[in-house]
Amino acid sequence: MSPDNVQVPEWAWYYIAVYFFVAGTSAGAYFIGAMEELFSSAKEREVSRAACYVAFPLLLLVPIPLIADLGRPGRFWHLFIYNQGGYPYLNLQSPMSVGSWVLLVFGGCTLLSFLDNLVADRVISFPLFSRYYNRIPRKLYALVGSLAGFFIAGYTGVLLNVTARPFWAATSPLMGALFLVSGASTGAAAISLYLIWRQRNAGEEVARLESFDRALMISELLLIAVLLVLAGHTAQLLVTLPFLVMFWLGAVALGIAAPLWFKYRSRRQHFGGAPHLAHYLCILAGGLLLRISLLQAGQL
Amino acid sequence: MAKGMFIDTTICTGCKSCQVACKQWNGLAAEPAHFGKRSGVPYPVADNFTGDSYDNTGSLSATDWRHVRFIEQIDEQRREKRWLFSSDSCKHCSDAGCLNACPTKAIVRTDLGNVVVQQETCIGCKFCIPSCPYGVISFSEETGTVHKCTLCNDRIHNGLGTACAKACPTGSIRFGEVPDLRRRADARLAQLKGKGEKAQIYGYEEADGLKVFYLFTDRPGVYGQPEQPVVPQRRLVLCSLVTILTALGIGVAALVNFRERLNGKEEHHES
Ligand code: SF4
Ligand code: SF4
Repeated sequence: MSPDNVQVPEWAWYYIAVYFFVAGTSAGAYFIGAMEELFSSAKEREVSRAACYVAFPLLLLVPIPLIADLGRPGRFWHLFIYNQGGYPYLNLQSPMSVGSWVLLVFGGCTLLSFLDNLVADRVISFPLFSRYYNRIPRKLYALVGSLAGFFIAGYTGVLLNVTARPFWAATSPLMGALFLVSGASTGAAAISLYLIWRQRNAGEEVARLESFDRALMISELLLIAVLLVLAGHTAQLLVTLPFLVMFWLGAVALGIAAPLWFKYRSRRQHFGGAPHLAHYLCILAGGLLLRISLLQAGQL
Repeated sequence: MAKGMFIDTTICTGCKSCQVACKQWNGLAAEPAHFGKRSGVPYPVADNFTGDSYDNTGSLSATDWRHVRFIEQIDEQRREKRWLFSSDSCKHCSDAGCLNACPTKAIVRTDLGNVVVQQETCIGCKFCIPSCPYGVISFSEETGTVHKCTLCNDRIHNGLGTACAKACPTGSIRFGEVPDLRRRADARLAQLKGKGEKAQIYGYEEADGLKVFYLFTDRPGVYGQPEQPVVPQRRLVLCSLVTILTALGIGVAALVNFRERLNGKEEHHES
């Protein structure tokens, strides 16, 4: 009879880990775009434009897995309104509650930025909107949105840390930090992939994004190392079979270490070739495998 | 006015009356995981023989809100032996991890201090499940919501005690006001210590005080209870701070990398 009898939530990885990944990537892309928006001249906008085009469509996917994993999907609105009182409900102690509200705010900001860019690129001309959209200063929702984005990328890790499951509890307080850095890195990869797809060679801008991403990936490796030290024997599962492939080979080796090495080696190479494309895909797959591993290592 | 229960495990005989009374009063079905289909047999067949002493309940679940544990202790020479029993349930923590975690206000504390799940409000997000340090609250596939002991919410709000305490033939489970129960527990502890027995109360400090607390004659771990339970939300502030600092770090990294551009812009303006 083990005293470690804290029960498993049995969150389905194909819903919840995928949600962690998609929301983290969307939020990471958005705050990178917003940083450029806030810190840059008006001329160089390739990265922030790509970020807006990536963040919103990704975020549209998010409600599907979140609601599908509920025991009573039809009641999802109880997250916002207390059904017995009819008033809005927010529980500051519960990352799940705060996270749901911030998702709404973040969704609003990504939608505004998305429309904003569509109008600026003359893809749509929505007369009413064109007349009014400039009244909400772009920098304002870039600021609000990037704060919300930081929250969305990080809170899912905090959510795991504030449970009593041994692995999630032992890795406190680093899971939020790791998810945040990973979200930024997959967000940067998503932006780059978008630029390749649209055949935008943003030159200097991409070079800066790349050097930013190198710093992120180095800190990601460091965070994983410290996190595993903290976890100690609760991380035993990570050295058993599915995790050896999924976590060590997939998330760490192919998802972070190899792309990082490639980034250093190919600094002078032409942007957008097949190897470039492949290494961004590796970063994205690695980010997904990282979430699945850390979710399942606390659940199995 | 806080109500609670004191479980004196030293006088429990393992009769499971409490489990039966709980099931009957609360109208709880048999645990679905304990029954299987056998070909040619028209009714579900029980397959919950755990082989663990007289225990065939295994653990608390959405339909088993009480669970009597059987602990057989035999020394190496097989001369000394001891059989311990302990009836487990929700502890109705004063700082309840499950309640803190719930995003929908489905879990509430009543005026009598007990923690209950409002079935009409729960959305089945399952966040409360890993947030209970005692592994109590459980999900039901059937209702899509979580269930646990309510401290017989309906009974105690109508002047009755809990069904399990009522049924307990030895007085091992006592229902009452928490301060009264603590006095009783302290007296019993002093009596046992006077006889030279190793005994301890479990639940005075844990989670700001468990409303359902225990008298054990061995380590809590032996009875399947965590030795050092932590209300998980107490880590929230530190986790948030570290995450915010990381966000600041990322912001600085972005600034450093975009600084060239800012400089470039300034030069552009100067020229
Ligand atoms: S024992 Fe678990 S289910 Fe019961 S009140 Fe405490 S945290 Fe909630
Ligand atoms: S499963 Fe129900 S009771 Fe538990 S946290 Fe979610 S909404 Fe609250």
